[in-house]
Amino acid sequence: MQSQMKESDPILEVENLSASTDNLPILKGVSLAVYPGEIHAIMGRNGCGKSTLSKIIAGHPSYNITNGDIKFLGENINSLEPEERAQSGIFLGFQYPIEIPGVSNLEFLRVSTNARRKFLNKEELDTFDFEELVKEKLEIVKMDHAFLSRSVNQGFSGGEKKRNEILQMALLEPKIAILDETDSGLDIDALRIVASGIKKISNSQTGIILITHYQRLLDEIKPNYVHVMSDGQIIKTGESDLALELEKKGYEWTDNFIKET
Amino acid sequence: MEIIEKIKTKQSQDSLTEIQKICLDKLQPSPLPNPKSEQWRLSNKSKFSNFLNYPFNEKNPKFDTPFPKSSQSTIRLVIGDSCQFNLIEENYSIKQLSEDKLVKYIKEQISCFDENENWSDLLNLSLNCTKNTLGLKINGSEIPPIEIFSHASSNSLNAKTLIIFLEKNCDINLLQVNLGKENSSLSQSTFFFLEENSSVNHGVVSYGENKSNLLNSLNVIQQNNSEYNLGSLHFKFNFARFEIRIKQSEGNAKTNIKSMQITKKDEQISTFTKIDFNGPNGFLDQINKSLADDKSHAIFEGSIIVPKIAQKTDASQLSRNLLLSNLAQIDTKPQLEIIADDVKCKHGATISQLNEEELFYMRTRGITLTEASKLQLSSYFQEIISFIPVSKDRWDLLDKLLQEN
Repeated sequence: MQSQMKESDPILEVENLSASTDNLPILKGVSLAVYPGEIHAIMGRNGCGKSTLSKIIAGHPSYNITNGDIKFLGENINSLEPEERAQSGIFLGFQYPIEIPGVSNLEFLRVSTNARRKFLNKEELDTFDFEELVKEKLEIVKMDHAFLSRSVNQGFSGGEKKRNEILQMALLEPKIAILDETDSGLDIDALRIVASGIKKISNSQTGIILITHYQRLLDEIKPNYVHVMSDGQIIKTGESDLALELEKKGYEWTDNFIKET
Repeated sequence: MEIIEKIKTKQSQDSLTEIQKICLDKLQPSPLPNPKSEQWRLSNKSKFSNFLNYPFNEKNPKFDTPFPKSSQSTIRLVIGDSCQFNLIEENYSIKQLSEDKLVKYIKEQISCFDENENWSDLLNLSLNCTKNTLGLKINGSEIPPIEIFSHASSNSLNAKTLIIFLEKNCDINLLQVNLGKENSSLSQSTFFFLEENSSVNHGVVSYGENKSNLLNSLNVIQQNNSEYNLGSLHFKFNFARFEIRIKQSEGNAKTNIKSMQITKKDEQISTFTKIDFNGPNGFLDQINKSLADDKSHAIFEGSIIVPKIAQKTDASQLSRNLLLSNLAQIDTKPQLEIIADDVKCKHGATISQLNEEELFYMRTRGITLTEASKLQLSSYFQEIISFIPVSKDRWDLLDKLLQEN
C-alpha cells in the first residue's frame, strides 16, 4: 500500500525502527510513511508498542533507538530533543495528559504557541493577542474560557483533558499529529467534539496518526490506512475496512498474520 | 562563653537592661546550644560560628526597603527606627506597647524558656536593648495591611525583636521582611499573641545577600477561636534557621502553615517547628517545602505535641522536598507526639527530583528543558507564595528574586 506513487514527499517516515528501554527491546523494526493529507490508524493489543512508537517519535528520553531512522520532512530527527521536534511541527496527544499543578493553562499554552511561532518565524504573541487567538480555538473543542485560568489539566475530567490536548493541537498547528488513544475515556458527545476538532484542524498539508482500540473513533474520522501492531512490529496494513474486520474478529484473528510472517 | 563576654564587653554591666541580665544569666551555664541536641545536631558548626563572629552592632543605619510602597493604605514599619508610632483611626488602633508592658511580657515568656530550645530567643534578648524592639498592640477592624522590615547591616550582627498583641475579634494581614546585607548576621525574634476570635495572615519573607546569616525565631500563642496563617519563604542565606513555636493555649484554634526554604551553592537553611496543642479541638494544616541545589543543605524538623487534654485535635504535617543536584542534601523529620486517644493526626515526607513526565509533556509542546524546569519550579513555589499576604506589585518583585535565585 505504502509503495504506491505519491505526489509529494512524506511528512514522516519511520524506517525499520527498533528501540529499547532499560535494555528491553520494545520496537522491532517498524516502518511507516505518512504523506500530506493522510490519516493513519494504528491498532493492536495493549503492550504491543503503539504508545512507545508515539513517544519515540516525540523524542522521549527514556527510550534508545537501537536501529533505523525517523525522518521528518526528509530530515533525520533521531538525535533531536523533544522540544526541537515539537517546534518543527510534531505533535503528540497524550493518552494520559499530565497534570501540572501551579502552572496556569493559559500561560502554558501561550509559551508553547510562541515556541512554535518562533520556529516558524512568526511574531510571538503577547497575552492580549494570545487571548484573542485562544478564544477562537476554544470554539473548536467547545471548551469554556474558565479552563484557561486553571492549572494545566489539574482537576480536569478525562474528557476535558482530551479536549485540552486537541486545543493544544489547534494552537500549535503541527505538520503531523500523533494522537495516542485520544478516544479513551470519552463519552459519545465528547468523542464527537474531539473528532470534529481533529477534522477541523487537519488539512491536505498535514498528517495524522490515530492510535486507538476502537472503531467508534474511526467511524468519525475515516483513516486512509490502518496498521495492526503486535510485539513491536506492524504485522498488517490495510485500508479502513481492516479496522471493521478487526472489530468483528478480534486480535486473535491477527495472530494468524504473525504465524504467516 | 565568648558570646556572653562579647555582650558584656560591649556594654557595661550597669547599662544592661533587666531583660538582658536575665537572659545572660540563663545563658551563662551553657552559653552555646548543645550541638548534640535534636534541634542543633544538623546545624553546620562552622557556619554557625561564623554567625556569631560578626561584631555586635546596636545602631540601625537607614536602608532602602526593596519592596515598593505603592498602596497608600499600607502601614510600613522598620524595627529600630526610633520614631514613636501610634495610629488611632475610627475603626482600629495600632499603638506602641509601653516599655513596662514589653518587659512584663518578655519576662513571662523567658520564664518558660528552655535554654537549648529557646537559645535563639535568649541570644536575641541578650543582645537587644529596647531600641531595637518594636511592640505593637492592635485592635479594631478593617485594618490596612502592615509591613514590618528588619535588617542586618554589612559586617555586623544585628538583633531585632518584634512583639505583637492582637486583641479580640481583630483581623490583620502582616508581611514581615527580614533582610541580610552582605557579610552580616541577623537575629530576629518575633512574639505574637492572638486573643480570642482574632486572626492573622502572616507572611515571612527572609532573603540575604552574599554570606549573610539569619537566626529567625517565631513564637505564637493562640487563644480560643483564633486563626493563625503563616506563609514563609527563606532563601539566599549562607546560614539560616527558622524556628517556629506555636502554642494553642486552650485548643479550639486553627493554625495553617505553608513554609519553604530554597538553598543553593553551599548554603544551609533549616526550619524547625513545634506545634503544641494545649486544649481540645485544635486544628493544624502544615506543609513545609525544601528545594536544594548545588552542594547545599536544607533541613526540616517538625514536631506536633498532642497531650491528653488535646482531644479531638485534627493535625496534619507534610514535608515535601525537591533535590536538584546529586551533591545537595535534604534532611527531614516530621514527628508526632500523641498522648490523647481521640485525635486525627497524620504526617509524611517525600523527597523527589523534578518530575520527568511533566518535563517531557512540556517539552513535547516546544518548551525547552530549561524553561520547563523553571515552570515546574515556579509551580512548586506557588502553593507557598500564594499563601504569603503579598500584593501584586510585591509579588512581581518576589518573582524576580526567585528567578535570580
